[in-house]
Amino acid sequence: MSVNAPRSIDEYLKQLRQALEGQDPALIQDALYDAEEYLRAEVAAHPDKSESDVLELIASTYGAPDEVAAAYRDTEAKVKAALKTPAPRAAHTSGLARFFGVYQDPRAYTSLFYMLLTLATGVVYFTFVVTGLSLSAGFAVLIIGVPFFLAFIGIARVIALGEGRLLEAMTGERMPRRPVHPGPPASWWRRIADMLTDVRTWTTLLYLLIMLPLGIIYFTLAVTGLAVGLRLALAPFVVLSRDFGWLPPGVSLDMIQIDGWHAASPHTLLGSLFYMVFGVVIVTALMHAARGIARGHARLAKALLVVPGA
Amino acid sequence: MDDSQARKFQKDLNAGLVALVLLAVLERTTEDLYGYEIAKRLQKANEGEALFKEGTVYPVLRALAAGGLLTSRVVPSYAGPARRYYRITADGRAMLRQWSDIWRQTRGFVDRFIEGTDS
Repeated sequence: MSVNAPRSIDEYLKQLRQALEGQDPALIQDALYDAEEYLRAEVAAHPDKSESDVLELIASTYGAPDEVAAAYRDTEAKVKAALKTPAPRAAHTSGLARFFGVYQDPRAYTSLFYMLLTLATGVVYFTFVVTGLSLSAGFAVLIIGVPFFLAFIGIARVIALGEGRLLEAMTGERMPRRPVHPGPPASWWRRIADMLTDVRTWTTLLYLLIMLPLGIIYFTLAVTGLAVGLRLALAPFVVLSRDFGWLPPGVSLDMIQIDGWHAASPHTLLGSLFYMVFGVVIVTALMHAARGIARGHARLAKALLVVPGA
Repeated sequence: MDDSQARKFQKDLNAGLVALVLLAVLERTTEDLYGYEIAKRLQKANEGEALFKEGTVYPVLRALAAGGLLTSRVVPSYAGPARRYYRITADGRAMLRQWSDIWRQTRGFVDRFIEGTDS
């Protein structure tokens, strides 16, 4: 790789990207970001030298692209191994233990929380994109159209980064820790053209749009599952509190029953215990589903927010 | 002795030492530092042949931050992409004390054989 030493920052970043080929796209984005911070600072620190003169010495200070790539690969592998929350060991691998083992997995709770959150984020993202796109189209004929569109895409990228950080915290899927770097300084027209031809710009907007329907589905699943499951699981307490007269005055049993299930409500303790088993199974299945859905969603997010740019 | 073997030995040694040095640098300063400044401080202290490439500092900084030994904040910059400033945490200081002890023990142990003070 030292055959043709990079002579400009862009060349260096290109070689670094090549050396990291096949790595996690999020890691590549971080490595490029770090390298650019260093290289630009180094060039700025030597105003008397040209960019290519500074770059000539870079292999002996910052390191050649393939050396730097190796450092990122090694560190990432070590950190991943050290920081990974040990998965709950399936010591007793009976199906029942594995089914209920989901309660020991912090990811199941965070995933469920994420599902509840997506309705709110989905509404915000959708509104943002629809408003931004229509205003951009409207302003296109005016002089403020260009800066407005640039700002709109810029904010969309920041949102995408934030969504990535949230998803990594909730699901453990590696997402970028730095924003997309804007590339070499260029004229506004050039940057507009780059943004318009960059697939990632459009996949990012697509992601933000589909977050609304997805958010509605996730939220509904989570709320329905929790409400039905918990109601059934708590059935014995409802029956007991009725039998012992613990219900506060004015509260009838009907008020804490789900519409339509009323007729089938248990009136004996035995019947309600049967309901409880059913409810616990529903809640547990929901935890499993949440974990799976969040994992699948993280992959979708990566495919739309990260991969097209790498 | 082949030069690449010497380099490999240095690289193996550096695996843990870079993290120790970074914690020490950040513990001794009152201000927050960003990657480039830290790399330059190390370079200045390190006359002659560089013990490690400055590019290897960044991934280790990120790893230390991910482990809670450092905190970081991002500050926009005119010279290029936004800079990430690092500061050591209480956990980081505790870890540094522990690692320093291990380093002193190791150094003493190795020196006893290399310098032959034991015989």
